[in-house]
Amino acid sequence: MFGYIVRRLIAGLLVIIAVSMVVFAIFFYGPNDPALAYCPESRCTPQRLDNLRHNLGLDQPAPKQYAEYMSGYVHGRHIASGGISIDCDWPCMGVSFKYRVNVFDYLWKRVPATFSVAIGGAICFLTIGLFSGIFAARRRGTTADKAIVSTSLFINAIPYYLLALLAYLYLVQSLSIFPQTGYFNPLDEGPMKFIGGMLLPWVMIGISYSTQYARFSRGAMVDALNEDYVRTARAKGLAERIIVRRHALRAAIVPVVTIFGLDFAYLLAGTIFTEKIFGIQGLGLAGLDAVTRTDLPIISATVMMGAAAIVLANIVVDILYSVIDPRVRLT
Amino acid sequence: MALTPLEMAAPDVTQLPDQEKEAEIAGRSPLQIALARLRSDKIAMVCSAIVLIFVLIAIFAPLIAKLFGVEVRAGDPSSDTDIFNFPVIGPPDHGFTWKAPLGLAPNTGDDNLAEWLYGARTSLGIATVSTAVSTLIGITIGLVAGFSRGWLDRVISFIIDTFLALPLLLIALALAPIITLRFADQPTTLKYAQVIALTSVLIFFGWMQLARLIRGEVLSLREREFVQAARVMGVPTRLILFKELLPNMMAPIIVSISLGLPFFVTAEAGFSYLGIGIVGVPSWGQTVNKAVEYFDTYPLYLYAPVVGIFLLVVALNLLGDAIRDAFDPKTRR
Repeated sequence: MFGYIVRRLIAGLLVIIAVSMVVFAIFFYGPNDPALAYCPESRCTPQRLDNLRHNLGLDQPAPKQYAEYMSGYVHGRHIASGGISIDCDWPCMGVSFKYRVNVFDYLWKRVPATFSVAIGGAICFLTIGLFSGIFAARRRGTTADKAIVSTSLFINAIPYYLLALLAYLYLVQSLSIFPQTGYFNPLDEGPMKFIGGMLLPWVMIGISYSTQYARFSRGAMVDALNEDYVRTARAKGLAERIIVRRHALRAAIVPVVTIFGLDFAYLLAGTIFTEKIFGIQGLGLAGLDAVTRTDLPIISATVMMGAAAIVLANIVVDILYSVIDPRVRLT
Repeated sequence: MALTPLEMAAPDVTQLPDQEKEAEIAGRSPLQIALARLRSDKIAMVCSAIVLIFVLIAIFAPLIAKLFGVEVRAGDPSSDTDIFNFPVIGPPDHGFTWKAPLGLAPNTGDDNLAEWLYGARTSLGIATVSTAVSTLIGITIGLVAGFSRGWLDRVISFIIDTFLALPLLLIALALAPIITLRFADQPTTLKYAQVIALTSVLIFFGWMQLARLIRGEVLSLREREFVQAARVMGVPTRLILFKELLPNMMAPIIVSISLGLPFFVTAEAGFSYLGIGIVGVPSWGQTVNKAVEYFDTYPLYLYAPVVGIFLLVVALNLLGDAIRDAFDPKTRR
């Protein structure tokens, strides 16, 4: 088990290093001149551009720049640029071109918003999905079952961002049924304001993502309820409630955990749509904002954080898998 | 416990007319069975009709635009918009006019109908190219990985896993400003560079699922007798792959294509909505992005692209689900 985790962590680290190289290559070889991105509206004299290039280390060969960039992840760096120098403490992901601040500090402040969206949304879609799936499986073949299956098929066919955008425009902007969305710090502004701002995003993620879970858990539950051990449990007179909860659910939950792990990671990396539509100041919106300002260090840091989240979630899922499903042995 | 002939009910052959009997035992390929199932599926038929209409719109976009007398990206802000940057003809202030059936866009004065028609073209064009290329890549890599034992298989599997771990949305996010920076001083090149970049990103992240699926299929198929027979006869590997194995994998390939198309349409519109997709060429997502702030005063501006994305993606998705069910022998009918 321990050896397995160590090996998976090393493999994960390799993937993240590969991502960092890709990102670095995109930024190094992509633009004609990264120094131009640093200049406000490209109004720099050639001499100032030269200065910038030197200060940012852009006149160094690519491998050296990459090593310098990566060293920030191991220990802090001291970055001097355009007359001002900034101490970039560990973990240093560079200095924002536009805000002249440590990128990590800038992004770290936005992590709670993104996590709130992802965790709250995950709780919503798991609850809705599992309950409707199990409900449908127990009433297989009835109208209720058919209604759940076809509704989830239909919702699944609609792009999430359209659903969320229309919900925001109608329910918040036009009809004001839901309070204004956004991230409000629960410690400063009270938990009610926090929940109010997150409510509609959670509900929309819940509805849109739950369809897959309803389908998966329904299928797994139908299979589990047909197993011999469930028949045995019924034969010895156990209550249906206990059979469903203790016996069938345990087997049915395994495939759900697999897709959940991946979904949660993608949710963390992909709250961009949610954040843009509902105006939540999280990591995704920071990344989008950086795109319009061509703030390369922030973009690369966002990509790295997203990749790290996905890799970590994958490892956690595989470990959880062996805990839930005793048939799986990690070697 | 063998059955004796007496225990078996003797089939009454004489009662069936000859022709009907023949029709009943006519051999049907899995493809024919699936097509017959699809034809009897009403939702699938309606959806394919909708998709067909969109395909025709996309192909004949310039013609339809001419028919309505509208032109794409021909707005003139000084003559087509008033001092509040709202259009001087058509909705929201001046009622319906045939000069611009869906109205003009605020700020630019571009015609919404023309933009919508060409948006369909962008959407379906990018989705089709991405699906085609990523399917080809997926098939090739899957075949190679499955058929080659040892290190090549392991290397390819590692690459597939690595790609699956990369966040598509974030890579697109990283690439967008770079493309803009690179071609900032050449607007025409930038237009095409964005389309090509977006298509490549979609292709880059679209092939892994199919490759994995094909690899698994090859692993189980290559031990079958007909493959061994072909090998014994001295059929070259290339021919075994494409003549013996590939035809047996049509079902997963067709299903992957039919579910890939709506994914790419959704992704293109979504990226353009975020502003990290296409800017220079008309695109529904990009119109949605521009129209959101006018929702209160000019909802029609938003509705046109929203309805376009909604209808096309839902029809494609439901059609894809129907195709998957039709090819799945386990679905009960």
